[in-house]
Amino acid sequence: MNIKAYIDRIDLRRFRFWFQLATFALLVYGGRLAIDLGNSLPTFSCGYNKKGLAGVCYLLPLQHQLAEPWSQLFSPAGLGVLGGFALFLLWFVALNKAWCGFICPLGTIQDWITSLRKMLGIRYSTYSDEQFKKLSLVKYVLLLALIFMPLAIGGQLLSHDWATPYCQICPARMIIPVFNGDFSQWLVDFSSTGKMVLTALGMFITGLFLIGSFLKKRFFCFFCPMAAFHYIFSKLALFKLKKEGSKCTVCGNCYRVCDLQIKPIADNVVKKDILMDDCILCLKCVAACPEQGALRVDFLGRTVFESTKDGFVKRMGLEKKE
Amino acid sequence: MDYFAGIDIGSTAVKIVVIDEDRQVIGNKTAATGALVYKNAQTAFLNLLGEIGLERKHICYLTTTGYGRKLFPDADETISEITANAVGAREVGKPFGTIRTIINIGGQDSKGISLDENGNVTNFAMNDRCAAGTGRFLDMAARNLEIEVSDLGPFHFNAQGTPAAVNATCAVFAESEIIGLLGNGHEREEIVQGIHFSIAKRTIRLVKRVGIEELIYFDGAPALNTGLVAALEDELGRRLVIPPLPQITTAYGAAIIGLESHRFEKQEREEVGEAVVVSSGHGCQGCSCG
Amino acid sequence: MSLEQQQREIETPQHRHARHQGMEAGEVLDTVEKAFAGNPENMRYFYDLFRDVYCNGIKPHPGKEMIGTMCVQIPDEIIHAADGVPVRMCNGFYTDEEIGGEFMPAKSCSLVKASLGMLKSETNPYSDGIKVIVNPTTCDQKKKVAGMMREMGYNVYDMELPPVKESEEGREYWRRSVRKFTQEVGKLTGQKVSRKGLKQTIKKVGIAQQAYHRLNNLRKQTPAPILGKDIFMVTNAYFFDDLERWTAATEALCEEIEARVAAGHNAAGRRSPRIVFTGSPPVFPNLKLPLMIEQADGVIVADETCSSNRLLNDMVSVDEWFMYDMVDAVADRYLKSCTCPIFTMNDDRIRRLIELYRSFNADGIVYQAFAGCSVYEMEQRSVAKAMEKEGIPMLYIETDYSPSHSGQLLTRIEAFMESLKARGRLK
Repeated sequence: MNIKAYIDRIDLRRFRFWFQLATFALLVYGGRLAIDLGNSLPTFSCGYNKKGLAGVCYLLPLQHQLAEPWSQLFSPAGLGVLGGFALFLLWFVALNKAWCGFICPLGTIQDWITSLRKMLGIRYSTYSDEQFKKLSLVKYVLLLALIFMPLAIGGQLLSHDWATPYCQICPARMIIPVFNGDFSQWLVDFSSTGKMVLTALGMFITGLFLIGSFLKKRFFCFFCPMAAFHYIFSKLALFKLKKEGSKCTVCGNCYRVCDLQIKPIADNVVKKDILMDDCILCLKCVAACPEQGALRVDFLGRTVFESTKDGFVKRMGLEKKE
Repeated sequence: MDYFAGIDIGSTAVKIVVIDEDRQVIGNKTAATGALVYKNAQTAFLNLLGEIGLERKHICYLTTTGYGRKLFPDADETISEITANAVGAREVGKPFGTIRTIINIGGQDSKGISLDENGNVTNFAMNDRCAAGTGRFLDMAARNLEIEVSDLGPFHFNAQGTPAAVNATCAVFAESEIIGLLGNGHEREEIVQGIHFSIAKRTIRLVKRVGIEELIYFDGAPALNTGLVAALEDELGRRLVIPPLPQITTAYGAAIIGLESHRFEKQEREEVGEAVVVSSGHGCQGCSCG
Repeated sequence: MSLEQQQREIETPQHRHARHQGMEAGEVLDTVEKAFAGNPENMRYFYDLFRDVYCNGIKPHPGKEMIGTMCVQIPDEIIHAADGVPVRMCNGFYTDEEIGGEFMPAKSCSLVKASLGMLKSETNPYSDGIKVIVNPTTCDQKKKVAGMMREMGYNVYDMELPPVKESEEGREYWRRSVRKFTQEVGKLTGQKVSRKGLKQTIKKVGIAQQAYHRLNNLRKQTPAPILGKDIFMVTNAYFFDDLERWTAATEALCEEIEARVAAGHNAAGRRSPRIVFTGSPPVFPNLKLPLMIEQADGVIVADETCSSNRLLNDMVSVDEWFMYDMVDAVADRYLKSCTCPIFTMNDDRIRRLIELYRSFNADGIVYQAFAGCSVYEMEQRSVAKAMEKEGIPMLYIETDYSPSHSGQLLTRIEAFMESLKARGRLK
């Protein structure tokens, strides 16, 4: 059997579990081994996880940099911002949204919570079409806020108490350090109104995160501003999720297994580049597709993983035991 | 000299054409199909051979077509009447130009066939089951009107008043329709013209399903009926190509297909370089070919 | 009355019907078996199965509770999980059509008439074991037939299918129907559908589908290793055969055909046009058109019908093996990918046809519409237009179960084959 056929038959669920575990360990504990991947990671490797972090989520330095005084930001010195951004883009372009489905520690935690729910035999919830449409705008609002609020600080329109506003409300700030025994973020900061509002909101959102991801698969990813930020550049990425509409029977298997309820993956038979803004490139859709070559992942134009009848049958446990 | 025969065994008549290797018609014959289909066809075939001074063994390749094509065990090949008709029309129509549409009205069915520039069938349509708008329908109408089928043309042109409205969706109902019209005092000429227009409309509706492009070739025995030809041309607003012997186009096409198959097989045998016996051994028995 | 006449024993209509039906089935089986040389050895199982059930009066599931299904959309997985045996009631007998014709308008679909006729006649193979007939709300004729079946004394379960399958509302509507059915079928058979049971039957049906896919995939080969008439026999057997026996027989056939492919065996002629068959479903013994095509030197390499491909094509994928996900997954299989013409849109069917034409390396499409099956008749225009745009030759044939106009049909089919061959020569 050649390598391609081997990969197409992969047990994606198991592969992802171990891969996610490995990247989780790397990003959350790697710092203890002095691993440093820099400050521009396109994933929630939280900068507040001081004890173990092996690299910092780009949103933290981005908010810091944008909050620099305008005189500095809009001067040649401000070009430094572009350096960080370039590095972010490089990381992202290499893997596209697979950062979300395979690497993001916060995503992995949500998958673990989902496993817990499954163990208890409790059904997941879904959004209705209307809810989906409305709620899918939240991530863009957050993205705009995390860009313009720091800018406002730099322009002295807003107090420094509102610094790194997104990080203050991001559940990663509270949850990820916990894995290194650090509960120092589990506080409401009463030192100023801005800090109090943000940290209280952060605590509320963390609670929501824990409950939400128990009820809904990848609950938080749907609101993630990083996902919105990714999507802007996803056309440049080397990893691509492709669909061959002519081979699709619109059976909906891919849609049903999709943690983010992305309907076009099943219903759109025209679009070739089927990566949508909510996609976390977890590849569950490719693994669930029974049609030969209807869904596939390309890297630099070469197919690396493709839906096949054979792979489908193996994953569904339909192969005859010899 | 090699000779080839095409036999078109239709529902009403058997049409036979014998051609030489230059595709020239050596002889043709039309006979009634009757109930003993094979016997009647065989007799007519042998009679024709006698008339043109040939024997069975001189016929290199015999192709049958028409609804009774499978009943003729002597045949080297059977071919559907649609393909045979197309090939025949392509050949006969050559002096007029490129035939792109064929309207065929036979004894019990009517067809529209569309051809590409090379004379290959691209699409066709046939009437469903019933005999409305076919030769049988014209026979029945003539009998009810107590005129000869050959008089239908002259009657058409002699009509003075408005053509009678004949529905003609069904041959059986039309019979009572005609009797009704006669009872209402309609002239026979008006009824004949009404019938022709009714058939013309019906046929054109059928042929439209395959698309109508020039040149349009009209064949089958009813093409001898000048009244029907006029009705079709008037309905279409275009001129039709009518072959001199419209009933034998299909048999002629079958003969040409036989000629081509024979050449193809011969060529293949030469290419293979050894004597391969042709599927059935009826064809060559002592003639110079082979 | 003469003495001779008095002495002649009068045959009851039931007997006459059963005898004629046996003859009808026997004649078709003879053609299927004997008119073609070199049938695969492993087709024997299927030929014998049909002969047993339709000629020798052997009941397919003695003593078992059968659940009749009227269309392809009724989930087998769920019936099996409730320990029922699904048997498809769609019927292809002309002799039954004549009986069913009494109850229905003259211009109605042969298949519906024949199915009704079969249920009316006491000699049908399922007569003594049908617990309930599940009737999805597909076409108008099937819908209205529910009332007639009730009048005949059958227990009929109306399963609601939406007329639009693209919308989320349609999906949810159907999922509700299937969820309700899952509960109701358990009550009918006395065996509640359990999580473990359903998981098992999804796999069992999946394995059967896998065997079908393996067989179907071999038809992509040139030369064609198996004739379409045999495939129709295999898939038609799925209507009523025991699931595991059917799967085993199909797998045995696959092995034989795989060996044939390896040996370069050609089941058809040297220049046989490769045909995709679509439209109204050929159901045994109404294999009239498929047999005619293959007797006219064509070979059916793929099909898009609910008595064959649509029956087994789409496989269920489950994310979380709980009742909620399994039932919904099963529901989606029968709605979303279904290319039945009763839905408002038919884009999926057109796309499927083009894909089949290409991937099975076909030369043309034959589209059968039963006279009176208005949905297939109506779809013909849009399909013909789409195929013309793609440059795919298509022959549309309107027909029914009666053998009366076979001469005309044969002429059309032969002419179509001849024109495909002429095209092939040009290519």
